[in-house]
Amino acid sequence: MKKKGKVTDVILAVFVLLIVVPAVVMAVWVFTERWAWPALMPQVFSLRAVKEIFGRCEALLRLLLSSMVISSAVALLSVVIGTMTARALVLYEFRGKGLISFLTILPFMVPATVFAMGVQITFIKMGLNNRITGVILAHLICSLPYAVRLITDGTAAVGDRLEEQARVLGASAGQAFFQVTLPFLVPVLLSSFSMAYIVSFSQYFLTLLIGGGQVKTFTIVMVPYLQSGNRNIACVYSGIFLGITLAVFAVFEKTAEIWSRNTDAEFYA
Amino acid sequence: MGRKRTPYLLLVPQMFLTVLLLIGLITGITQSFGVIPAFGLTEPTFRYYREVLTKPDLVRSVCYSLWIAFVSALLSAAAGVFLCAVLVAGHRTKGKIMRIIQLPIIVPHVVVALFVVNLCSQNGLLARIAFGLGLIGEQQEFPMLIYDRYGVGIILAYLWKEIPFIIYFVISLMANIDRKLGEAAVNLGADRIRAFFCVTLPLCANTICSGFLIIFVFALGAYELPFLLGATVPKALPVQAYIQYTHPDLQNRPYAMALNGIIIVISLLSAAVYFILIRKNLKDLSKTDS
Repeated sequence: MKKKGKVTDVILAVFVLLIVVPAVVMAVWVFTERWAWPALMPQVFSLRAVKEIFGRCEALLRLLLSSMVISSAVALLSVVIGTMTARALVLYEFRGKGLISFLTILPFMVPATVFAMGVQITFIKMGLNNRITGVILAHLICSLPYAVRLITDGTAAVGDRLEEQARVLGASAGQAFFQVTLPFLVPVLLSSFSMAYIVSFSQYFLTLLIGGGQVKTFTIVMVPYLQSGNRNIACVYSGIFLGITLAVFAVFEKTAEIWSRNTDAEFYA
Repeated sequence: MGRKRTPYLLLVPQMFLTVLLLIGLITGITQSFGVIPAFGLTEPTFRYYREVLTKPDLVRSVCYSLWIAFVSALLSAAAGVFLCAVLVAGHRTKGKIMRIIQLPIIVPHVVVALFVVNLCSQNGLLARIAFGLGLIGEQQEFPMLIYDRYGVGIILAYLWKEIPFIIYFVISLMANIDRKLGEAAVNLGADRIRAFFCVTLPLCANTICSGFLIIFVFALGAYELPFLLGATVPKALPVQAYIQYTHPDLQNRPYAMALNGIIIVISLLSAAVYFILIRKNLKDLSKTDS
């Protein structure tokens, strides 16, 4: 028994190492000036790449801002629309429910490339091409199914019994939802927000096509550096953005944890 | 009366987005049959599909993409399930280790491409280690892992990103089944390995298949990794499609759409299978509840 525990530990350790090593190598590249073959460590370290990017502080801030505005807007809309869709699918019976629940997961199965090339002409006609609104709308289509999936599970778990009780006691439909069900949904809404944020944040092709190169996000700016072999700049950008994303997520997760602890306490008290 | 209308009102924004998606799909499909009135093309024809499926370089694109998608999805699913089993057996399904495993999920594909370049190129860390160990004498002796004909670099990148996805997708179900039914099987005399293969694994099969399909379709249609890590020849389907799409001669547009059409057909078939699988899962679950 003890021996088996060791084997699983070794396997997991190797796996964790495989996940972490690429990130560490990236971090080393951020500070690398010269790393000639065949050395295992860089010969010359410098802050050149970091300085170069932070030197153009305004450009960096603008990029951060537009990336985060787009992804946050997508995530927020995904959560709101996802909650509405989930409620319709979980709490009501209506005609065409099967078809609609199929359509909600369809974007999982339609690659963003196919969708982007097909829909670009429509976006141009609607005047949405090369605009932030267009990019948000296009990203939203890709992120929404994740939110719908998560929130559907959450809504099904909470159910509508407590809400009905609130109604019986005289609450309006809005009050019943916002004051009774919503607090229970907060953890699931936060994880849907994070998921939708990542999906939007990771898009490259869709942003390229619908944004037409005018709408700058992290991936759009990073890819040319990667292609031209300017690895330390690419690594600095990646480091900054991953760092911010991780920090935002940590805050979210902590919030969800504290929130669900508190609501549980209130509920059982 | 209000109750009848409520679900439809709730679904309005969802439907707006769904319609936009369908417009994209349908435009692509009509254009793939050569119907683009704006370019003076009005006769529907199978010509573009025929050509796409007979031109040698395009056929190779189709095979290349199918190969990458299938191998990535298969290896991700297999490794993911194996690691899930290890995690469940070691009672490590929560806590720090799961957090590290979830890390790749938040890393964008373009950054994963950067990781693979850093590690697997002929100038990368692996090549340097191989040199240090005396396995190779020169940089050029290190096998081409990126920009290669078999898409090794692309597959490695997908594995790094998608194995954790499979774990994330399967682990809670597997932990749950193992706790309830696996224990029961062990109590009835099955050894742990037998309990895993005869009880836990079959009950997770649908979810694993869904995960496989999601990765397969994604890898088939994704542009970033083959664009950044793929060979010049053959090119992956989406890369090839985008080249045709941006071709200065607008008459090439239908070729792009025919290539996309192939992706759509495979994707929709997978979508149907996926939907049947989750439907069946839901039914099974409600059966065990009652």
